[in-house]
Amino acid sequence: MLSHLVIGSGLYFGDSIFYVVCFLLLMWIVKVLAWKPVTKMMQDRADKISNDIDSAENSRNEAADLVQKRQAALASSRSEAQTIVNDAKTNGQQQREQIVTQAQTDAQTLKQNAQKDIEQERQDALVNARNDVADLSIEIASKIIQRELKADDQKALIDSYIEGLGKQHES
Amino acid sequence: MNDGPVSTFQFLGLTFSTANIVSASVVFVLVVALVYFTSRHLAMKPTSGQNFLEWLIDFTNGILKGSIPAKEIGGFGLYGFTLFIFLFLSNELGLFINLALPNGATIVRSPTSDPVTTLTFSLMTLMLAQFAGVSKLGYKAHFGNYLKPFKVWIVISIFEEFTNFLTLGLRIFGVIFSGEMLLGIIWKLAVSHGIATMIVAVPLEMAWQGFSAFLGAIQAFVFVTLSSVYISQKLEIEE
Repeated sequence: MLSHLVIGSGLYFGDSIFYVVCFLLLMWIVKVLAWKPVTKMMQDRADKISNDIDSAENSRNEAADLVQKRQAALASSRSEAQTIVNDAKTNGQQQREQIVTQAQTDAQTLKQNAQKDIEQERQDALVNARNDVADLSIEIASKIIQRELKADDQKALIDSYIEGLGKQHES
Repeated sequence: MNDGPVSTFQFLGLTFSTANIVSASVVFVLVVALVYFTSRHLAMKPTSGQNFLEWLIDFTNGILKGSIPAKEIGGFGLYGFTLFIFLFLSNELGLFINLALPNGATIVRSPTSDPVTTLTFSLMTLMLAQFAGVSKLGYKAHFGNYLKPFKVWIVISIFEEFTNFLTLGLRIFGVIFSGEMLLGIIWKLAVSHGIATMIVAVPLEMAWQGFSAFLGAIQAFVFVTLSSVYISQKLEIEE
């Protein structure tokens, strides 16, 4: 059965050489066809996965940073808004006070003016009345003494009379 | 099976066995076809063929990583991968295709059912182990390992190399050869007494064929495992 393997009876060493050559050739073909591209692809994939994990970690950190920044911005804008409202309140208060003061001053001025006007009117009315009384007195006097009197000549006399009248009246 | 006359021919003063040459060529073509058709259209997202190939590469790399440190695997990965597919297809070939010439000499069978084939691969592995040892440790440290733990140990070390060579090659040969021989015997039984024996023998033949296919896979695995063990032994300095 294994007689051909007995040394000396034609052991086919040639096969060994053939197998070795065949195997080396096969290794080369496998290397070119499959081994190199596939292991490269597997390595690429492993690299990509580890890169993806790293970049995911980075993105997560960035997102966390962003959230923190946003929160800080929100807080600062809130305080800013608070300040604005406070300023507005203060301003409003000031303006209100100013307007009220202005209005009070205006009213005071108006009142004073009105009082002055009234005084003026009264003075005018008094002067008018004095003149009228003077004219009337002269007319009456001229009627009474039946003679022509010069108004101007008598004016001083009448004035002094009326002065005394006014004083009497005032007191 | 080798129980018929062996067809041999002479070339350049060397004797060749026709069956081995033809079978090896068939396996060669099968391996090339396998890696060619599974490695088309490589992509980052693997499809069916690429999945299979990557699984196979991971598998053989896993065998090697069992004994060789990961950073030293390098080219052994390719060796283990090629060895595994070649031996696996060799083991299975004879179970499904067994052709004989009209004079009874087999022409296509498992290449591994011939000790010359298996011992060639065994020798190749041990030569690779020696080469790896020398290239990593240098001549002095490499051959110094044979003198450890003490100088007389060199006898056992050299004897061990020889037995490694024989057991590695003959283990796979024995399993595949006996598997094919038993298939032949069962088939002879099937055709010996007509239809009655045929009914008994055919399921038996199928069962044994299935078992042999399993054994062929196991033997290819064992061969690659032991190869990596022998190589790893040469990569380290013994204490």
